[in-house]
Amino acid sequence: MTDQEQASKISEIIEAYPADQRFALAAMQDMQHAFNYIPEEGLSALAAYLGCAEAQLYSMATFYKALSLTPKGDHIVKICNGTACHLRGAMNLATELKRNLGIDPGETTEDGTFSVELVNCLGSCALAPVMLVDGTYHNKLRVDQIPGIIESYANGEVVSAHD
Amino acid sequence: MSEMLTITIDGKECTCEKGEYIYDVARRNNIPIPVLCRSDAFADHRACCRICIVEVEERGRRKVVTSCVYPVSQECAVYTKSEKILEERAVIFALLAHRAPDAKRIAEMNASMGSDGFDRLVTIDNEKCILCGLCVQACDSLGTGAISTVLRGTEKKVDTPYDRPSEFCVGCLSCANVCPTGAIEYAQTDTTRTIWNREFDLVFCEKCGNLMGTPESIQHAVGAQGEAPRVCDECRKRELADEMMQTYRYV
Repeated sequence: MTDQEQASKISEIIEAYPADQRFALAAMQDMQHAFNYIPEEGLSALAAYLGCAEAQLYSMATFYKALSLTPKGDHIVKICNGTACHLRGAMNLATELKRNLGIDPGETTEDGTFSVELVNCLGSCALAPVMLVDGTYHNKLRVDQIPGIIESYANGEVVSAHD
Repeated sequence: MSEMLTITIDGKECTCEKGEYIYDVARRNNIPIPVLCRSDAFADHRACCRICIVEVEERGRRKVVTSCVYPVSQECAVYTKSEKILEERAVIFALLAHRAPDAKRIAEMNASMGSDGFDRLVTIDNEKCILCGLCVQACDSLGTGAISTVLRGTEKKVDTPYDRPSEFCVGCLSCANVCPTGAIEYAQTDTTRTIWNREFDLVFCEKCGNLMGTPESIQHAVGAQGEAPRVCDECRKRELADEMMQTYRYV
């Protein structure tokens, strides 16, 4: 995406909302969705449009886990670490992912393909341990299934939900 | 004039308006309540440090409230030094002292409280900030909005966006001056001032040579279109007085 495309996309997202501060979060969520992160230009453009301080938006963007200020990977892998998943070895999944992708939870691979996140509960405790890749649930996972799943996304065999 | 009420604070009868905050009534009657995050500069208070807690007895019921934001709504009895308050305040002080061990003011207040027995709490090294947010409130109220609280939980801190020098900061030191614990650091030499990683020039009065502030803060005070004054307030008043004297000389 060129800078110009990005700028026009940003203004398209922002101008879909009335210029009122209560739409700040909604607009930021849309940006997160469109770019996989909130670009700096987006934050300052939104601040100018809403007439609030950029620092205030920055504060919100750093507060909510759903918003990110650094680019996320194309595929977002969420490992559930709720009580049930934790007991059934969610951390082993995280270790296996680290072995596979070389990143800890909260990081993004250098080529920008994968981001790994540790989340608190996905609400599917009966299916523990659960891993969510781009909105697709992988249930009752065993550690030895992970390389195959990662490979299928890396090769583009699975089309991710948000593209 | 709104309704007047009589309340008792520590046994002393005090008259106040309905809706006034207990802290304000107590202070007017020379009853000290310790505070950190309360500033006279603002009408709405943070109620964040929790040190100003008092016990209020209304209709026979006692409850603990933060006096800086608790409006008097009916006749009541207020206790600022009850056993319960002293105990709870000691806990709050202990927590604040472990949060911000380098803050002199907290250490002083804490020493007079004598809150021991909290050794199991983890102390954060080299910290002065209690995250009350007064600095952010000051910056926002000036319309500069250069700083805000960033991140959350244990990582929460006050900072400029992206941890970079802010183009909106005018170097006025409002944040540093309003801070109750002196947590906002700045450096000043004869000609420059550095705050929030940005260096500002300093402007001096053309007449008396007193420090007037940074060019940015002076311009901010008069608005973008306004003409920045070249002399300080004192000298301007004197100039005005001289002018008046000249004008009325022959009257």
